[in-house]
Amino acid sequence: MFDIIEGPIDVAALISAAQRPDCGAISTFVGTTRVDENNGVSVEYLEYEAYRPMADRKLEEIGAEIERRWDVREVSIVHRIGRVDPVEASVAIVVASPRRGPAFEASRYAIERIKQVVPIWKREVWSDGYFWIGSQVGTRERANPT
Amino acid sequence: MDGIKVLLFGAAADRAGTRETVIPAGNTTLDELWPVLAERHPDLSPMRDTLAFAVNGEYARGDARVSPGDEVAVLPPVSGG
Repeated sequence: MFDIIEGPIDVAALISAAQRPDCGAISTFVGTTRVDENNGVSVEYLEYEAYRPMADRKLEEIGAEIERRWDVREVSIVHRIGRVDPVEASVAIVVASPRRGPAFEASRYAIERIKQVVPIWKREVWSDGYFWIGSQVGTRERANPT
Repeated sequence: MDGIKVLLFGAAADRAGTRETVIPAGNTTLDELWPVLAERHPDLSPMRDTLAFAVNGEYARGDARVSPGDEVAVLPPVSGG
C-alpha cells in the first residue's frame, strides 16, 4: 500500500496488514519529528507538502524497484503531509519478507530513495522562523541545516 | 486555457510568492521557459542550479519540449522522510 495522507499514520495497522504465513520477517521504519535545538531556539514542528499525483507514483515505483531486487511479499509506504508535531511519524515503511535480510535491506532502500526522488518537501518551523530543508530558504537568520 | 501551467513547490513557491502561474508561451523547452519564469519571479533566480523540473508529472531535462496545455513543475531539492 502506497499513500500520502494528512493526519496520523496508523503504523500498527500497516504492520498487521503485512503479516503473512509465508513471511518470517516484517521490518518497520518510522521517521519521526526530531526537536533540534540551537542557541536557545528549537524546532516546533515540521510541515510537509507533496506534488501529487507524481509523489504517489514515485512511491509506487520505489515499491516496484524493491520487488525486483529482493524477495519481499509486502511493501507499504505511507508519507504524511501537512503539520507533523514532535515525535509524530512523518513516514512509515513496512516490508514483509520470508527472511530478515531482505526486509531490513529493502526498508533502508525505501527511505533512501524517498529522500532522492519523491517530490515531497519539508519546512522546519522553529520558534524564531522557518526554513526549507535542502534549499536554504526561509525566514530564520541562521538558516543552517546541521 | 492557453499557455503553460507552472506549479511551484516548497522553497520555490516561497520565493516566487505563488504556487501556480500560467506562462503564455507556445511550443518551447524547459530551458527556454526558465528565463520567462525568472523574469516574472526574480527571487527564483538564485535557486536555479538547485532546481529540478517535471513535465506532466515526470522528471524532465532542460531540453524537454513543452507545449500549451502541459503542466510544468518547479521542484526544489526534495526533502521527504
